[in-house]
Amino acid sequence: MDTIFSCQDLTFSYSFGNVNIEALRGVSMDFQKGKFYCLSGPSGSGKTTFLNVLGLIEDIQGGDIEFEGKRFRNLKEEDKNYIRRNQVGFIFQHFNLFPVLSAEENIEFFLVRQGVPKKERKDLVHKALKDVGLWDHRDKRPLEMSGGQRQRVAVARALTKSPLVIIGDEPTASLDQKTGKEIVNLLKNLSDEYGSSIILSSHDTMVHEFAEELVILKDGRLT
Amino acid sequence: MLFSLAFRNLARNFRRTLAMVLTIGIGTGALLVFKGFNVGIMNQYRDNTIHARYGHGQINMKGYHNSVYEKPWKHWIEDYGSLKENLSKVPGVKLLFPRVNFFSLLTNGEMNISGKGQGVDGKAEFSFFNTLNIVEGKNLSNEKEGIILGKGLARALNAKIGDRITVLGSTIYGSMNAVDTYVTGIFHTGSKEFDDSVFRIQLDLAHLLLDTKKVESVSLGMKGLGLWKNIEDFVADNDIDLESIPFHVLDKVYYQHSVDWLDAQFGVIQIIILVIVILGIFNTVSTSILERRQEVGNLRANGESRIEVLKLFSNEGFLVGVFGAIFGIVVVYGINLSFLKDGILMPPAPGLTRQFHVKIELQEWMAVQTFIIGTVTSFVATFLASLRVINQKISDLLRSV
Repeated sequence: MDTIFSCQDLTFSYSFGNVNIEALRGVSMDFQKGKFYCLSGPSGSGKTTFLNVLGLIEDIQGGDIEFEGKRFRNLKEEDKNYIRRNQVGFIFQHFNLFPVLSAEENIEFFLVRQGVPKKERKDLVHKALKDVGLWDHRDKRPLEMSGGQRQRVAVARALTKSPLVIIGDEPTASLDQKTGKEIVNLLKNLSDEYGSSIILSSHDTMVHEFAEELVILKDGRLT
Repeated sequence: MLFSLAFRNLARNFRRTLAMVLTIGIGTGALLVFKGFNVGIMNQYRDNTIHARYGHGQINMKGYHNSVYEKPWKHWIEDYGSLKENLSKVPGVKLLFPRVNFFSLLTNGEMNISGKGQGVDGKAEFSFFNTLNIVEGKNLSNEKEGIILGKGLARALNAKIGDRITVLGSTIYGSMNAVDTYVTGIFHTGSKEFDDSVFRIQLDLAHLLLDTKKVESVSLGMKGLGLWKNIEDFVADNDIDLESIPFHVLDKVYYQHSVDWLDAQFGVIQIIILVIVILGIFNTVSTSILERRQEVGNLRANGESRIEVLKLFSNEGFLVGVFGAIFGIVVVYGINLSFLKDGILMPPAPGLTRQFHVKIELQEWMAVQTFIIGTVTSFVATFLASLRVINQKISDLLRSV
């Protein structure tokens, strides 16, 4: 199986005045294409930081990551934007949908930004809406939908970009157990169809059960 | 789609958007009113200057206006008759006002007061100098022996309409002479210096007093403001020893200095209004953008560059600017056509003592200019407010709730 992320000796720290907190302390591991990973560990173990570094939301401080033949260290800003726009899909705990756009428009928005032609875009969006079971709710705005429905929109939005990897930081934390399970199940099934790898962080053992590989972090180190 | 998103974001928080639109609208409206008011004052003042004293300008012998002579009449225009004939043919010339100025004593038998006399063509001047404010009696017209006095001068002489006044002066040959007049009117231009010293008699009477047929200057009433150029061309094209001086040069001390002073003042006030609008918009937009940091984080996490996010907010600022500027301009036009239809009563201008009404004279170029200023101001304020947020780290933006 091909490697999608190859992480070597990642370190990352936060400074709060004179206090320095090391969030990652020499993390090295490879992520394989097409696999479902779940990062777990106690609060403050470095899960979010690790995901942020993988998704180019945080700049690398120490070590390096190889992704599709590119090294993240010293990557130009436009290359980072390209990867974030075309190769990585994000799902957030708080959904992060545009409140003024309908479900359909939220999914379509980043496809427009990717430059996908209108006909192809519409087809992709309509398929995604049907895939996540929101076809009848496509005209609703986020505030008119439940948490589960919103997260389905976020899943559809991430998948329609056809990313190489979907990164989700606690995507079920704002949902009840049943809905959370539906979302993760949906994500797993669709990622197979769309050909994307998945890396989620979660405390939830239900999510762990879906993962093909569970990665445990503790105090910024892999255990 | 960025533009559509910007539009909908504005609709999302209607009250805030309304506050921003009102801020821009009030700023744009204030600028427009001030420009219109400024032009109104200038035009009113210009018309006052033209129709009270100077006409559109005057012609005199070359160099005469800026010189002081022991015997000024030696530098007066000899042959007014042929000059009149030639000037009458210049396109745009409506009326000619030959004049002489002289110093003399006015006496009513009880007291003698020195004054500055003007010999004028009463009939011609009567029809043009319509803003000369006659407070008692009537303006000099066909009365061969009539005299009109400045208000201060009349008060000093204790003169009333119909009173006999003798004008004592010297002829151009140096001998004493006198003409008898009777008071037909008392005028009040608003300029105290003028009203305290000036009187007018018929040109023929002045010629009799001075024992000459020369005229000192010829003021002109044109059919339009821009036609003065024809007079300048006439003087330049004809090889004659004359010079033409427009009214704003003749009244440089009051008119031109007032114009320059008001222009400078307008520039400063315009800057102050712009700064207030920018700060107002900046403050409102900053609050709005800070509340949307997570949205910015989402955009950035999905590959939007800082420039693209900046465009989104700038689009919103541009739209607010357009709506606000249009709102401000429409409201100002509405108010001007209703409440301010008759203008604003103003206290006397510098150097004057008479109140006057100023109309807010709105012109298309002003609306276009203030529209552009309002829109650009909103755009710039939004741009500056957005800069603070888009330079934050994506992770910090996503963490903010």
